[in-house]
Amino acid sequence: MNRPNPSSRSADRERADRIYYTLAALLGGAVILYFAVVPFVGANLAFHFYLMLWITMASGFNVSSGFSGYMPFGYVAFYGVGAFTTAILVKKLGFPVLLALPFSGLAGLVLALLFAPTLRLSGIYFAIVSLALAYICRLVITNMPEEMTGGSFGIQLGSQAEPVLSFYVMMATMMLALGTILWLSRSRLGKALRAVRDDAEAADMMGVNITRVRLYGWLIAAFFPAVCGGVEAWYTNIVDTETAFNTLITAKTVIYAIAGGLGTVSGPIVGALVMVWLDELIWRQFPLLNLLILGLATVLLVLFLPRGIVGTLLRWRPAWRRYVP
Amino acid sequence: MNAALEARDLIKRFGGLVALDGVQFAAAEGEVLGIIGVNGAGKTTLMNCLCGLYQPDEGEIRLAGEDVTGRTPHEIAARGVGRTFQVPRVFRRMSLIDNLLVPVLRRRATDRALIDQAETMLERMRLIDLRHNFAEELSGGQQKLLEMARMLMPDPRVVMLDEPFAGVHPTLCRFMIEQIEAMAAERKTVLLISHDLTSIYRLSHRVLALNQGRVIAEGGVEAIRGNPAVIEAYLGA
Amino acid sequence: METLVIIGIVNGLIVGGVYALIGMSLTLLYGVLRVVNFAHGEFVIGGSFLAYVLFNTFGIPPLAALPIAAISFFGLGYVAYFLLIPRLARSDDPESMSFLMMYGLSIALAAFMLVLFEADSRSIDYSFTPISMKVGPVYVATARVVALGVTLVVAAGVSAFLFLTLPGKALRAAIMNREAIQIMGVDIVKLSAFAFALATGIAGITGVLVALVFPAFNAFSGPEYAIIGFIVVVLGGLGNPLGALAAGVFYGLAEQLATVFLPQAMAQIVGFALLVGTILVRNAGFGRWRVSR
Repeated sequence: MNRPNPSSRSADRERADRIYYTLAALLGGAVILYFAVVPFVGANLAFHFYLMLWITMASGFNVSSGFSGYMPFGYVAFYGVGAFTTAILVKKLGFPVLLALPFSGLAGLVLALLFAPTLRLSGIYFAIVSLALAYICRLVITNMPEEMTGGSFGIQLGSQAEPVLSFYVMMATMMLALGTILWLSRSRLGKALRAVRDDAEAADMMGVNITRVRLYGWLIAAFFPAVCGGVEAWYTNIVDTETAFNTLITAKTVIYAIAGGLGTVSGPIVGALVMVWLDELIWRQFPLLNLLILGLATVLLVLFLPRGIVGTLLRWRPAWRRYVP
Repeated sequence: MNAALEARDLIKRFGGLVALDGVQFAAAEGEVLGIIGVNGAGKTTLMNCLCGLYQPDEGEIRLAGEDVTGRTPHEIAARGVGRTFQVPRVFRRMSLIDNLLVPVLRRRATDRALIDQAETMLERMRLIDLRHNFAEELSGGQQKLLEMARMLMPDPRVVMLDEPFAGVHPTLCRFMIEQIEAMAAERKTVLLISHDLTSIYRLSHRVLALNQGRVIAEGGVEAIRGNPAVIEAYLGA
Repeated sequence: METLVIIGIVNGLIVGGVYALIGMSLTLLYGVLRVVNFAHGEFVIGGSFLAYVLFNTFGIPPLAALPIAAISFFGLGYVAYFLLIPRLARSDDPESMSFLMMYGLSIALAAFMLVLFEADSRSIDYSFTPISMKVGPVYVATARVVALGVTLVVAAGVSAFLFLTLPGKALRAAIMNREAIQIMGVDIVKLSAFAFALATGIAGITGVLVALVFPAFNAFSGPEYAIIGFIVVVLGGLGNPLGALAAGVFYGLAEQLATVFLPQAMAQIVGFALLVGTILVRNAGFGRWRVSR
């Protein structure tokens, strides 16, 4: 029997961990470097701003669907509420933007707590309820008094625009999201979440407090889109219900996350990079067919690449699972 | 002294169906208690009540004297109860090592110590070479072993095995029997559920026969083997 | 006030009939295929546009468009089934992935209709003679009365099919137990394709009715109908066609009466809250039941 003895096993483990963290550092470093220089070299600021936004959104969604096994098809609710929180705090209460943004995150957490009872649903029930709740959020905000949410014209943030600063704030948000997920994927909470995803009852009987674990995952997943909404409101200087609660935001988030592959740190990054570039290229060529192609891409993705780019790679080379963040 | 596990007058109804109708038993430390009965006798329902998945409508469950009726499954697990399932329920898209870590996530020990422990356990269950594979990549028999390993990870005082030998080939079956004997030797209380009498009779110190949610016989293997009520339940109409 | 309530009830029955048909076809799809069809709204609106084109280009009146829509959509559904559904079974979580796929299809179909018909709202400029009829103390557009009549015929026809014919019984059996029916020697693939085609066909008919009942429709009206469909399906019990019929009428009545008493946005919120509440209440403790043997 040629079985590795305990000491060679632990050496093997350390080697795998080294590769994992080296890859994570390389990936993170490349991402930081790439985005940090954008404003200096005069690259397209808006394009890269949204690229980071989608990476963050897809990564947040990954926590919910890749780690916890929930598909929130009303994910846009957190984004929209975050956008309106920042807009209202800045415009109506005179908060400085940088102080308002954490409150957007907080609003996302509060909303997640309000929606927490839906976590006992699973699969398709959860998806439909989440979708309906997003519509309710939108309707409620649309019908709030005009002096608060600006009615159908929305809220103009006025002279707050600082494209470069908001670009870097978006970057910080993205790095925070990626760092959180890197931590989560190695942490005990992450293992508990995955166990609950695969078989909640069995996890419960193995001593995992499934209600608490699910809630933690849900809060992490809700925080980042809410901050994204706030930063985007600052960047574009305007918020209205039509765009802030647009279901396409959910659609794009889901598609980008799945295109990369759920359950890994790198999946949503790869997915967002590939798909946002593709989207941009298509949009330049055929502006009218943009939506059509986005929809068809979703269908094709589900049919032919349901595990996404990274997921398919890891299925093909299972041994790499230990090395790829 | 208190029994390691004790059930008093358990009643569980599903709508109009009475799945458990006043089940009562006690199991001592280091004892292997076999629970037999035909399909639908209430064996799995009993196990699901004992580990907190179902709340019994009436009755009481005690672990080493402490009343745990109404506790959630994870609270009961934290008190040293582990189990396996009739159809293996492994965490499909997690590595074998991670599967074993799930029951000990709340231990204070360092990750490194827990992983060492998990690898030792996988070695004992002859799964060590597959430790980085996803559980879904294992065969049915291997999944049964993985479940057993996962159950043993937190060193539970009471273990419940639901049809451990169903669909397992003879060599593996022998290996599992050895493992169960080792559990009893470690002074664990073992509840062994099966409708296959041979293996139960071989392993059990005492047997509980269920039929239609009631205990129809209880006693040593010899007594149960010759018990007319048990024979009738198995062979009768 | 009293007249308003009567108008509310009459409109509720008419609109509710349309919702009932949407719900019934959605629930058939979910029951047999375990597919939650987010694109169902686009199928319906596709039917409306078909009626629009048939009338504006070929002068074919909506009533004559009904069989054309039914047959052509049935055929499209049959083809779509084989393109979309069989591959789904291979994914980790077919139910959620089906929802995502249909979400994508919904976006694609809406965009496709947008390219063909642009973003303007359309309506069919066809009127029956007389243009309206007296129902009790109130006048109702003849088109809507006709639509109600068609709804009743279609609902009765589909119900009779489901409960009185062999293929219909096979469909209901498949809803109850997909595995068992395969053992009984029924070709589940054929049956599923048929269910998909039937649901799509009903959606086509419903689309024509939408063009008759509602003042206008556009490429982006779809999701609205899909969501109402979900509400109706959930209220009626997943996979229960008769329940969906009843729930559709109930929801139509509730919606139309609510607009009498409440601002429109409130009525919509009430609809969504009804959906969330029903699912939450029905599924309380659901997980504890599932593994019972």
